[in-house]
Amino acid sequence: MAVTLFLTALVAGLAVGSVYGLIALSYTVLFNSTSIFNIAQGDLMMAGVLVSYFCLDRWHLPQIVALLAIIAVVVALSLIEERVAVRPFLRKPGIGLGWFIATLAFSLVIETVASNIYGQNPVVPIPGALGDGTFSVAGVHVATKFILAFVVMIVVMVALEIFYRRTWLGTAMRGVAEDREVAALRGIDALRISRLAFVIAGLVTALAAFVVAPIVSSDVTVGLTYGLKGFIALAIGGFGSLRGCVLGGLLLGVAEQMFDLYVTSNYEILAALILVLIVLAVRPSGLFGTRAVREV
Amino acid sequence: MSELASRLGFGGRTWLRWAIPAALIIVLYIVPQLGGSSQFRLGEYEEVLSFLVIAVALNIAMGYGGQYILGITAVFAVGAYGAILATKYHPQGIGLLAMCMIGAVIGGVGGMIIGLPALRVGGFYLALVSLFAALAIPTVAQKWAFVGADTGIPLYAVLGYSPKLSGELLYVIVVSLVLLATLFSWALVHSRVGHRFVALHTSEQLATSIGITAYRTKLLAIGISSVLAGAAGGIYVYTQQFFAPGSSSVNFAVLLLAGMVIGGGGSITGPLIGGAIILGINQFFTSLQQYNGIVFGVLLLLFAIFLPNGLLARLNVLGERLGINPPRGFGVPGGRAPTAAATGGAAAAVAALAAPVNGSGPGTGLAAQPARQLPAWPPVIGAGDSGALVVEGARRAFGGVTAVDNVDLTVKRGQIHGLIGSNGSGKTTLLNLISRFYSLDAGQIRIGSVRLDDKPPHAVARAGIARTFQSPKLMLRETALENVIPAVELRVRCLGLESVLRLPRGIRVNRQARAEALEILETLGLHHVLAQEASSLPHGTRRLVELARAIALRPSFVLLDEPAAGLSPVELELLAEVCQNLARSGVGVLLIEHNVPMVLSIADTVTCLHQGKTLFQGTPEELRANTSVASVFLGLDEPLETPS
Repeated sequence: MAVTLFLTALVAGLAVGSVYGLIALSYTVLFNSTSIFNIAQGDLMMAGVLVSYFCLDRWHLPQIVALLAIIAVVVALSLIEERVAVRPFLRKPGIGLGWFIATLAFSLVIETVASNIYGQNPVVPIPGALGDGTFSVAGVHVATKFILAFVVMIVVMVALEIFYRRTWLGTAMRGVAEDREVAALRGIDALRISRLAFVIAGLVTALAAFVVAPIVSSDVTVGLTYGLKGFIALAIGGFGSLRGCVLGGLLLGVAEQMFDLYVTSNYEILAALILVLIVLAVRPSGLFGTRAVREV
Repeated sequence: MSELASRLGFGGRTWLRWAIPAALIIVLYIVPQLGGSSQFRLGEYEEVLSFLVIAVALNIAMGYGGQYILGITAVFAVGAYGAILATKYHPQGIGLLAMCMIGAVIGGVGGMIIGLPALRVGGFYLALVSLFAALAIPTVAQKWAFVGADTGIPLYAVLGYSPKLSGELLYVIVVSLVLLATLFSWALVHSRVGHRFVALHTSEQLATSIGITAYRTKLLAIGISSVLAGAAGGIYVYTQQFFAPGSSSVNFAVLLLAGMVIGGGGSITGPLIGGAIILGINQFFTSLQQYNGIVFGVLLLLFAIFLPNGLLARLNVLGERLGINPPRGFGVPGGRAPTAAATGGAAAAVAALAAPVNGSGPGTGLAAQPARQLPAWPPVIGAGDSGALVVEGARRAFGGVTAVDNVDLTVKRGQIHGLIGSNGSGKTTLLNLISRFYSLDAGQIRIGSVRLDDKPPHAVARAGIARTFQSPKLMLRETALENVIPAVELRVRCLGLESVLRLPRGIRVNRQARAEALEILETLGLHHVLAQEASSLPHGTRRLVELARAIALRPSFVLLDEPAAGLSPVELELLAEVCQNLARSGVGVLLIEHNVPMVLSIADTVTCLHQGKTLFQGTPEELRANTSVASVFLGLDEPLETPS
């Protein structure tokens, strides 16, 4: 019994952790090319959840249409954000965290618009792409939506690794963050690269929205929460490393569930706070990170 | 900013400058007479007022200190919970003052719990971790019966609790507390502690180069603002008689930020005005609350991009046009000039050229007779030792490039050591190795027998090594004088608290720092620009101000990174004399320069670097005779000519 409880919590933790990992991956894609940390990522994901609610619950469209619609909306929002909130700061590099305030403001706007669109409707479940079934492994019921989240996250991570290591464009995208001027001298258009980074990050976030919708249902008020937890996944795992993002996300997801199970239920958010404070105190560069974060 | 100017009665309709804040203060006190004084209304006003105290706190850490503790509402919440719990269990003994103090202590502890780990990385980590705390604390409180869960703790339901203050008296007291907090923030930012905050905000390298400990100073900024935000929690609890998770949601943190940015962070009254606008709209236009997020979000975005210094900065510009504020960009009146002439001698003449606005033409004739008498600047910091600054076998690689490769160098006290070499030969890297901005891969750096290479960067300045930067690092929103003062303050010591609270020793030391900074600037002929914002100074003058800051440390060694670049011939001459005077005073000077004739004319020893390695070391005479250096470094086929 105790083992079953543990395994059930573990599975749930890995699934939610996969979503944190996906958000952390999109942060990393952006940071690699723009040196900007986009706090609106969580709310972009929630915009995707809203789209998924309309497509699947209201209009009963097929899953693949929903997926395409989510991708279209999230990537479009991501590009709008790049244009209005980020590019003004890329043009005048230098001191300050003005971009941080701008992305936070953008996040606030998305959140308010989304909650106004959603209105007072009660939170309803959203059907998953693989159905809402569960299957049993050694007495533990595993929901298919959990499996989907995990698989998507692994696939995205591997795809990004290959992209960064094997392709010229991937290398260029990392080079821009290191030094925009040098990149420009080598014929890399920094603005185009940063736009591309926003497209890729939007894509990753859209996938996160697609897999998270069946898990969180149609609650569109938790964008900032997911955005911040994605950051905590990143801080725990280590900045800049794709594997660190994923491991940090999984660790955070599992830690939350274990805290609920063994310490005290309902306070899993406290687990995240304590975990990140301890990790930063002991290993500021994160558990799997090697290089220190560059001074911002 | 131009405090000196206004003290000298410069700047037109000064009375108007004081009339506006005075009018605002009066309005604040009579708001109940204007907008209704029912108990409910007063409570609403007092709620906004307690939020303004948080705005003041946020401004200290973020506007001045540059530390983005966005989730300061978390600190406010724990302070408030502390105050309300204490009152719940001791309903008799606890009044407004006790609540503020309990809130302050608990808030301070809370701020440290967030700040200590988050600052190890710094930058936006602090913003995100604190924002997460602002999210987590109400979420946890919502489910925790001990703190009243979702409904919170109402004090009016606590048996035996009866607040002594209420009605308009309470309102007046709360307004006074807000003004007190504002006054405190003014005293803080105009003290040695505030100077350190601004220096650190400008550039961590600049701050450490004048001996400021970065981590401790950041922590102090966060600590002070947390104490204030916690005290705001006490005011909230006393005036509202309850506290619930909904009292400090994470969106509230964003509202506060919006208020500060829109009003203008880094000014005393900006956050108050912005906070009053944003929080007031949020409080009193509840029917629009649903859409507030959109309005505030868009406003915040627009301000962050187009008016990063906020409304108040705009108003100041407007004030200048209307003649209310003294204009920036003009110097102090001529009353100063005689003093300057007396101390600076002909250096004052140089100032005519150094000062940008007045310098209508080059007028080189003025500099023809340099009869300067620069006063001696004997070392104060690190003067106890008599050892030289020694670099031994220094090596540092970046990736595959070895920027500095096995370099030996000795800077003796009282001598000028020139360091030349083409671009990319490792000169600045070597300087940054000495400053500990980079760490050595191999080798040693020491003064006498005291190792420096295992010490943190601020300890290098405290060991008596001052430096300048290749592109001058100045606090651009401060005046030239204010840029030099923090350097003096490293050696005229007193407790930060004495300086903030203007205790006798604090006042004396504040004055002394100001006077010494003034004297050094005047000596360098910069009396024209004392009260000018650094951002309005031309390149050459900025270099001289930076030089003044380095001298103000009264160091044993000075490292100058291409100080001559961009200087006019007159300024160049002054620079050479300053170097020689430093050496005469017993200071060791390491001079990185591309201006080879100048180096050869004043240096005692010259080192030439080439691709990270030492190509030559010896006296200027030996260098002139050395054909290989001339050919490699200068691309000449013949030895350098001796300058006539």
